[in-house]
Amino acid sequence: MSTVDSRVSVAPRKPPRKPKPAPGSRGLSPLRVLGMAFVWLFTAVNLLVLYWLVSAAFKTPIEIFTKPFALPAHWFERGDPFRNFAYAWDNAGFGRAFLVTVVLVAVSSVVIVLVSAPAAYALTRLGARGADGMTNFVAIGMGVPFQTVVIPLFIGMAEVNLTNDLFGMFLVYVALSLPFTVFLLTGFFKSLPDELEEAAALDGASPLRTFRTIMLPLARGGLVTALILNAIGLWNETLLAIVFLNENANFTLARALFAFNSAASYQSEYGGLIAGVAIVVLPMLVLYLLLARRIITGLTLGAGK
Amino acid sequence: MPGSTDVGGRASGAHLVRKKRLFFPFFLPAVTLYVVFLVVPTLATVALGFTSWAGAGDTPEFTGFANYVELLSSDAFRYSFLNTLLYIVAGGVGTFLLAFLFTMVLRDMRGGKLIRAILFFPNIVAPVALGMFFSIVLIYRPNRQGLANHLLESVGLDAVKFLQAENVTWVVTGCLIWASSGFYITILMAAVDRIPPYLYEDADIAGATPWQKFRHVTLPLTWDVIGVAGVLWTIGAVKIFELVFVLAGPGTYSPPIRAWTLGVYVFDRSFGTQGTPEYGMACAAAVVMILLVSVLVVLLRRLMRRDTIQF
Repeated sequence: MSTVDSRVSVAPRKPPRKPKPAPGSRGLSPLRVLGMAFVWLFTAVNLLVLYWLVSAAFKTPIEIFTKPFALPAHWFERGDPFRNFAYAWDNAGFGRAFLVTVVLVAVSSVVIVLVSAPAAYALTRLGARGADGMTNFVAIGMGVPFQTVVIPLFIGMAEVNLTNDLFGMFLVYVALSLPFTVFLLTGFFKSLPDELEEAAALDGASPLRTFRTIMLPLARGGLVTALILNAIGLWNETLLAIVFLNENANFTLARALFAFNSAASYQSEYGGLIAGVAIVVLPMLVLYLLLARRIITGLTLGAGK
Repeated sequence: MPGSTDVGGRASGAHLVRKKRLFFPFFLPAVTLYVVFLVVPTLATVALGFTSWAGAGDTPEFTGFANYVELLSSDAFRYSFLNTLLYIVAGGVGTFLLAFLFTMVLRDMRGGKLIRAILFFPNIVAPVALGMFFSIVLIYRPNRQGLANHLLESVGLDAVKFLQAENVTWVVTGCLIWASSGFYITILMAAVDRIPPYLYEDADIAGATPWQKFRHVTLPLTWDVIGVAGVLWTIGAVKIFELVFVLAGPGTYSPPIRAWTLGVYVFDRSFGTQGTPEYGMACAAAVVMILLVSVLVVLLRRLMRRDTIQF
């Protein structure tokens, strides 16, 4: 296609072989068309898969496997469209798990932010020596796989009777979410202007008061993002829940889903199984539809800067 | 003692002292939790890796490097290590190739933002849920095929036993690439969006192909972001666990060792085992995980290092 030599350096312009396409009408090379087709196809498959998941949650196993793209019919005809959800809800103990998860995730996320925000503020705004080193020390925790801490942590928690205990789970969740959250919030605090802080100091506000009434409200966007990202992460967290919770009454949703998986597939209860998956996934989908931009920028923030 | 952030003026001296006094009350709660729940357990894992220990009721007994020697001769560990490496390398190459392809096309494409948002969604789905979802999509059962085989058969191809132990690692790699590509596409596209459009316009005038624009504009100007994204990928891929556990196995207990990863190995030798747990071995494998991630991250940073380009 191309007639120029392979090295296209930008600075010394070559005389164009072709006239520049008029603004708005881009030259569509076959390669580009192919690429666009692939991108759209990939996206369409993603949407199809989502449709499959949602529709299958209302189907019988036979419908799922023989008519994967048809709309659900059987349970609707029987007047019991939510049969799979009811099955999963009853058999996997999702009712209680839902409650446990909502409370645990909400309380943990709030506490994580409450502990992380002052720490991030201290690391960026209080002019402490060695703050950068300490920030790195905390940030390194993001790279530690949970598997490397989980055994001593379990032993230690068992010593103080905090295994199979929701308060213990709460402590573990808060502590292990700190590196990411502190790191995320240092970014936000760093980006705030100095002037307001200085003005408050000149007006005689104490540093604590400056933090509470000026800086914290200014960083609200960051705090809300941190709250949402932690809520998403903990909602989906499974490994630690598997290790630390072993009684149905304490199960989180993801943990209950994990236990439900083998039981339901053993009984070929694929409709119920997919409904179970949907119960875990759909709240995230709703959240995503509402807050996609905030979630995406929050999660990809660290890499872009 | 005046710090470097002294803002000048009469008030700042005393104010600065008060500010510094705030540091420890602010920083201490977080760092205490961090040290107690992350730093100390990591060190404990390193120490326990040198012991033989069956867990509660047993006392750890120092055995030096015996665990590591045993790991080297263990089939389960060899599979775990190689599979983990495969996920990191093959999964990484696949994901980044896909992401690069998307950056070439997506930059000035209509609906690009929407596409990114759609592809990003799997990243906020629980890996357990993803695994269970895939395990139903990929079921092999003549006459009642899962979605994937249904599609294969409907275009006249033979159905594939995706979840068989010898295939499952590649299949999980594929699922991993599919699920994470959106995240890396978003990161790279955010960097691409910061490149001044005139560079691409110049390239267009020079008649550059999409590949040449990618090779000589996009790649050099997003190099640093690609490096960070590579580190994020490595950190994420080294701990892959739920997806493998659910897709390759029966669910509650471990899959066949051929499909193991280091994450599965640690879990199986400690909490998931049917027989006597081997906490010492599990800790040694956990140390290997952290060594692997450290070595790869350092290597990657070395490999990607170059002078910053201003634009």
